[in-house]
Amino acid sequence: MLRGAGAIAVALPWLEIMGPERTARAAPEPAKRFLAVYTPGGTVLNRWRPTGTETSFTLSPILAPLAPVQNRLLVVDGLDMKSALGEQHQAGIVAWLTGTAQEGANNGGYGSGPSIDQVIAARISAGQKAQASIQIAVRWATGKAHGLLSPMNAANYENAAPHKPIPPRLDPVEIFTKLFGTLNPSDNNDAARRLARQQSILDFLDRRYSAVSAALGAADKQKIDQHLTKIREIEQSLSSTDTPTTMSSCKAPTMVDTSDYNPRTGLNADDKGNVKDTSTDAAIPKVGKLMTDMLVMALACDITAVGTLQWSDTEAKHTFPWLNLTEHHHFYQHDGGFKPAECERICNWYSKQHLYLLQEMEKIDMGGHSLLDESVVFFGSELSDPPSHKKNDMPFLLAGGGGGLRTGRWVRYSHLPHNNLLVSILNLFGDTRTTFGDPRYCTGPLTNLT
Amino acid sequence: MDPPVCEDGVVYPGRAPLRRLTRFEYNNTVRDLLGDTTDPAFSLPSEDVGNGFGNDADTLSVSSLLAEQLGTVAEGIAQRATATPEALAKLAPCASNVTAGSEEACARTIIERLAPRAYRRPVAAGEADELLALYSVGRKDATFAAGVATVIEALLQSPDFLYRIEKGTPDPERPQLRRPTGDEMATRLSYMLWGTMPDEQLRMAAQAGELSTKEGVRAHAERMLDDPRSRPTFRFFFDNLLPISSLADLERNADAFPTFSRTIGSLMREETQRFLEHEIFEGTGTWPSILTAPYTFVNEQLAAFYGIPGVTGDEFREVRLDTTQRLGLLTQGGLMAGTTHSNNTNPVVRGSFVLQKLMCISIPLPTGAILEQVKPPDPYSGKTARERFSQHSKDPVCAGCHKFMDPVGFAFENYDAVGLFRATENGVTIDPSGTVPETLGDVSGPIDLVQKLAGSEEVQSCFAKRWSEFAYGLTLRAEDRCTQQAITTAFEASGYNVKQLLIELTQTDAFHYLAPGQE
Repeated sequence: MLRGAGAIAVALPWLEIMGPERTARAAPEPAKRFLAVYTPGGTVLNRWRPTGTETSFTLSPILAPLAPVQNRLLVVDGLDMKSALGEQHQAGIVAWLTGTAQEGANNGGYGSGPSIDQVIAARISAGQKAQASIQIAVRWATGKAHGLLSPMNAANYENAAPHKPIPPRLDPVEIFTKLFGTLNPSDNNDAARRLARQQSILDFLDRRYSAVSAALGAADKQKIDQHLTKIREIEQSLSSTDTPTTMSSCKAPTMVDTSDYNPRTGLNADDKGNVKDTSTDAAIPKVGKLMTDMLVMALACDITAVGTLQWSDTEAKHTFPWLNLTEHHHFYQHDGGFKPAECERICNWYSKQHLYLLQEMEKIDMGGHSLLDESVVFFGSELSDPPSHKKNDMPFLLAGGGGGLRTGRWVRYSHLPHNNLLVSILNLFGDTRTTFGDPRYCTGPLTNLT
Repeated sequence: MDPPVCEDGVVYPGRAPLRRLTRFEYNNTVRDLLGDTTDPAFSLPSEDVGNGFGNDADTLSVSSLLAEQLGTVAEGIAQRATATPEALAKLAPCASNVTAGSEEACARTIIERLAPRAYRRPVAAGEADELLALYSVGRKDATFAAGVATVIEALLQSPDFLYRIEKGTPDPERPQLRRPTGDEMATRLSYMLWGTMPDEQLRMAAQAGELSTKEGVRAHAERMLDDPRSRPTFRFFFDNLLPISSLADLERNADAFPTFSRTIGSLMREETQRFLEHEIFEGTGTWPSILTAPYTFVNEQLAAFYGIPGVTGDEFREVRLDTTQRLGLLTQGGLMAGTTHSNNTNPVVRGSFVLQKLMCISIPLPTGAILEQVKPPDPYSGKTARERFSQHSKDPVCAGCHKFMDPVGFAFENYDAVGLFRATENGVTIDPSGTVPETLGDVSGPIDLVQKLAGSEEVQSCFAKRWSEFAYGLTLRAEDRCTQQAITTAFEASGYNVKQLLIELTQTDAFHYLAPGQE
């Protein structure tokens, strides 16, 4: 393994002699794809934090599975989610991508700003790809949310005010049909007829919503206008000529039998995770892999450029039978008293799933470079320490080479606000703003990322 | 906005924000409109939590995913409604033998039958023409059925179907105030009491002007509550208020609870729903009587689980309770099992359920700052729950909130994690005494607790508030105070009768007027 300061000190001047300076640092191209990956309830910090130095570090047990892609990782250590104010878990997931506090009284509100994925989507994806962005979740809304969208489980927020939360897609079969159904070249006539019909219907709906809106008072009008906006977005995506690319790297992922997985199991759950649907839980690794494959291919096929994968809602109420764990994640984190060994096992498994995602992205050739090279993948949680619900020293990872991100490093900051990271990620996509989220908790972009 | 002073003789129209059909209402509506019994709306993204029933108009929003899925769902319904000649014939008799020459006329007939019901109002000529134009697009290069399907797909996505749009009409006696039209009132009644679109009888009543007075509305509300179609609404309400909806998925350690199974869980849910239905429709039917009823409903399997002798067969039947051990709704196995995490009872959850859902006392969740100071107690230390949770009263940081919740939960400690009665835990005699906040004070155990709750004004007014929020599809705010006050007073006057409460909800100014500015 090539490591150590000595080797670098010798190598650099020699490289500069080789020709005009053309390093990634000089003028990196903006990143082209963004993924956000969420795992619930934090980590076990003393089993998560690497050891060593910035460029020469050893991954600790929880991150150890990621060793094969260590040179594609940027471990971003020492950030505090200072903007995460409000209820314990909710404030965390609200702030994770928005950098805003939870609004309103206790356990009530959502965030008050857009999430970075939606800001990025508006910049590089909306109107340019068939889908502006894709939100996917595995076993979601299983606890207190009672199957409903709630501040406990909403990570994505619309770019336009009033920044409403965006529900994720849950059903693998529906996601597959939505994303890759059109890749099937058969049924051309049917598809054309269907499109014509859909366009007329949307046209009709556009007129109806406009007419209804015009006759309503302000508050009601806003609701109808919001719906109208969505209808226009669908109209726009239908009329967009951007069909998925025919690049050789683009092919529908292999669909697996998910009949043993009910994405809505537990959506009628009670507050506290009595529901332990082990039959459906056993399919989570398989479904998670399929979800990952679909996300990667959605990017590779240019169906979208922005995605989110939520492995669960904040108070994850599913079990891990494949890890021989019979209680739900939140039970080990808090409900049943903090159980670090079990939490470590779960976090370790999530690292393995993340390894799979990054390796799949690395495999895909986008014409001389990999999909991972042009992407930024943000991996995070809403807490750091499960039992205390602390949000200091967040377990954040970046990966990929998009926007000139310099990976293979463990960067340590001293309690800087995580909003600084959010604005830095936006900068990687060519957005030049210097603050994001609640400005009281943002002191400018992080240095030393690119 | 400052809360209004509620004076007699003044009309307080209240808020009636624009409401979208919930998944529950959507499923019921397409069943009644098109005979589609597939519950297609369950594939829509979930509603926002809001008031706890998924119908809080103030929080409902439309995501891209919802707009798209509404299209997918409508496409499926339209296909099923036009899939066979028999299905088409149900839309209009002419559709069973259309010819090239009669197709368009038949399509118009279908539109004229379907659209007014889907929109819950008369349809203008221009609107029908526009729908007919859609038919023609769908018919092009395709079948008659495809043309009709296109119309249905559009109807089901239009704002007139998905939203309850109210324009109102000036009140003849007080022209400065607007009231819902007959059709709008029929819709208000129907969604409130049946969770679905108005039926033929209600539409005719609207046409005949029967819904333009409070008395007329009262008569129809009474008729509708006597109709079995109101039963699913009650089930839905209690499934969402009480912790019973997931009992069929409840898992417990088989060694510790060998007689418990998911089947028992689902039977417990049925026990509670049967009991409520009986009490409300055939029994005394007051909230206090529900909370203290000396009987319940079980079948053979559930009776065996509880140890009640002499019940045979799958049918549920009424049995008397040993009232030294159980009394009323709250002591039923399902409620006790449904407020327990795992294999150990949790007094916090039980106490929090009583306080928040039944007494409308909101307990803030601990904030990060508090949690950073303490670690929650290990639920496996100590012989009894009282011992395990003692940290909550010792640590002043915890005690601020837990002093309200835990002592209520301790009074339920006679019921284990599957809802069975017990006198001891780990060989230690259980002390089921507790304390209820506000005016209720100390209780000696579960029977005393439910009797005190049943006699509490706070519990009654909270129940009225929960129903108001569900029935009106919102979260009550300061500006809704007069509405809330009127309902609470009427509920009290009825002796806290549940059916009467629903009737009174159709008698408020909020139900009979539109808020100013809403036209």
